[in-house]
Amino acid sequence: MAESDASGDSFSPRSSGSARGRLSLPSASRNGSVSQRRRRRLAASLGRPPASEKGDEEDEEEDEDDGEEPESERPRPPGSSEGGGDERSRRMIRNQYRELICSVQQNREDMLSSKSNRLTEALEEANQLFTGVSRAREAALDAQFLVLASNLGKEKANELRSEITTFDSLTFAEDLLTFMGINRTETEGNDSDSENTSGGYLPSSAWYKLGEEAEKYFRRAPSFHYMLGSFKSEPPMPRQRIERQRKAPGGEGKRAMPAQLKKMEESHQEATAKEVERILRLLQTHFRNDPRTPIFFFDLVVDPNSFARTVENIFHVSFIVRDGLARLKLDDDKLPVIEPVQNEEKNDDYSARAQNQVVISLSHEEWREIVETYEITEPMISPPDSIEDEMETA
Amino acid sequence: MSQRKRSRGSGLTQGDDEDFSVLPTQSPSQVQRNLESRSQEEIDRKVTELVQFLLVKDQKKIPIKRVDILKKVIREYKDVYSEIVNRAGRTLQQVFGLQMVEIDTKHHIYILTSTLPRVEGENLKQDIQTAKLGLLIVILSFIFMKGNSAKDSAVWEFLRRLRVHPGEKHEVFGDVKKLVTEELVRQKYLEVTPIPLTDPPEFNFQWGPRAAKETSKKDILSFVAKVQKKEPSFWISQYNEAKANA
Repeated sequence: MAESDASGDSFSPRSSGSARGRLSLPSASRNGSVSQRRRRRLAASLGRPPASEKGDEEDEEEDEDDGEEPESERPRPPGSSEGGGDERSRRMIRNQYRELICSVQQNREDMLSSKSNRLTEALEEANQLFTGVSRAREAALDAQFLVLASNLGKEKANELRSEITTFDSLTFAEDLLTFMGINRTETEGNDSDSENTSGGYLPSSAWYKLGEEAEKYFRRAPSFHYMLGSFKSEPPMPRQRIERQRKAPGGEGKRAMPAQLKKMEESHQEATAKEVERILRLLQTHFRNDPRTPIFFFDLVVDPNSFARTVENIFHVSFIVRDGLARLKLDDDKLPVIEPVQNEEKNDDYSARAQNQVVISLSHEEWREIVETYEITEPMISPPDSIEDEMETA
Repeated sequence: MSQRKRSRGSGLTQGDDEDFSVLPTQSPSQVQRNLESRSQEEIDRKVTELVQFLLVKDQKKIPIKRVDILKKVIREYKDVYSEIVNRAGRTLQQVFGLQMVEIDTKHHIYILTSTLPRVEGENLKQDIQTAKLGLLIVILSFIFMKGNSAKDSAVWEFLRRLRVHPGEKHEVFGDVKKLVTEELVRQKYLEVTPIPLTDPPEFNFQWGPRAAKETSKKDILSFVAKVQKKEPSFWISQYNEAKANA
């Protein structure tokens, strides 16, 4: 338990002031440094033996004098009530009071500090001044100072109370950090004082650990949430949880996808290649039956039942032509015909062949017209499904 | 402000001007008589609705106003309000271990608190609310140990020692200043009042009514004692105050 007067600021009774009544006051009002001189004086008086007190201080006084006033004219504070009619001394006293009040107001923070005796000193000084007061006007100033000093005293007393019960927030903060799991072995810098924090690494679970302990001291109602979530979710908490849940299956889903896609692509490519090959075989079969006669292009590709199939056929045929396995040309009627290329011709002037490019456009309407004009009743290239059936029976 | 209200279901219209700030007389005899004009089912339904309403409203820990209860749930059953509330309270207690506590008797504002003792053991659900509670208990402890009120500058000075800065984004709490001065105040855990005649304006931090109901000075002192590894009686005046308060 700390001692109650650890701060050392005790209220000195008025009577003790009279002991010093015979000391002369310096004409300090011109210099405005009453407190400083007073302190020096007090310090000096404390260090000296009491017997020589008076004499030494008078010497001191003479030294401090700026010489603004000749010694003889320096007014002595009336130890007895001689100042009744002395207007000048009364004005002096009022000035001194006002300065005292001012200095107390300016140095508030300093006065409040528990380590400082300045409040006591100011009170003693006012005590001093009061001995020379005989009129109401000066007494009023004294009262004003007293109000100020007692307010300060009250504030100091408030702060004093918590010091008695020694709640030190600094050690509390340190203990909290320890509780939260701070790792003090890793200190980054040693200027903990300047940064106002201590060194060490605070883990991210720190506040959660503290919160977990805190829950024991609260009777908080747990927040209510539907287990399966609800439609109207506004509070951020449920949203966080739902998000977390969604993320997990999403990740797995993604991983599954590429595998599937690969397969599809392969089959797609295979399908094209297969188709192309099938059409080529068809072409070659037809030509075997009837060599020297190129097939009418539209007879080959057009499917009277499906525009889409027609376009697909043209697409597949174009591969054959690109690979140089078949040849597209215009016959005497300027109509496109297609014929397979003989093996020996395949390797020659492949580059020359490759440089001819044709873009065929076919609209739905044109397709209809072709079907009607050339009276194409059934597709030469049968759709893939039926071909499988054919193969099975064969 | 009164509004015209269309009645639901039962077809009862109790006047067009519903002023939900005023309750009809709820003396037990009067309420009994009013109850007779309603079916058991209707009352049960209202009780259930009220329980659900309270639970959902409590999610964000913002106190619930009686005006809202009357307007959104009770509606035309105002005359049997006390009966509905009593039964809802029983359900809350028996099913959920919660109770409705009034924190403002003038404006009739309520919160839900738990009536069950804390069970020792690991808390499986640790989320941001847990962390916020940690921050809160630290602030409440500081305020109490400093004499039930602290200046905002002192509070932030203390929090800085715990690596929490009002100007910086905290990795756990984000905008701490907003959390402390807005969220915790709105939830009535803290009370922040401006100190008059201060420029720049300074504020006073005190316990809010929810804190007073959900915890106690004795509890907080035990917390401080545990953290500092001392007996609660080490701090004489706080100990006496806590004892007197319990």
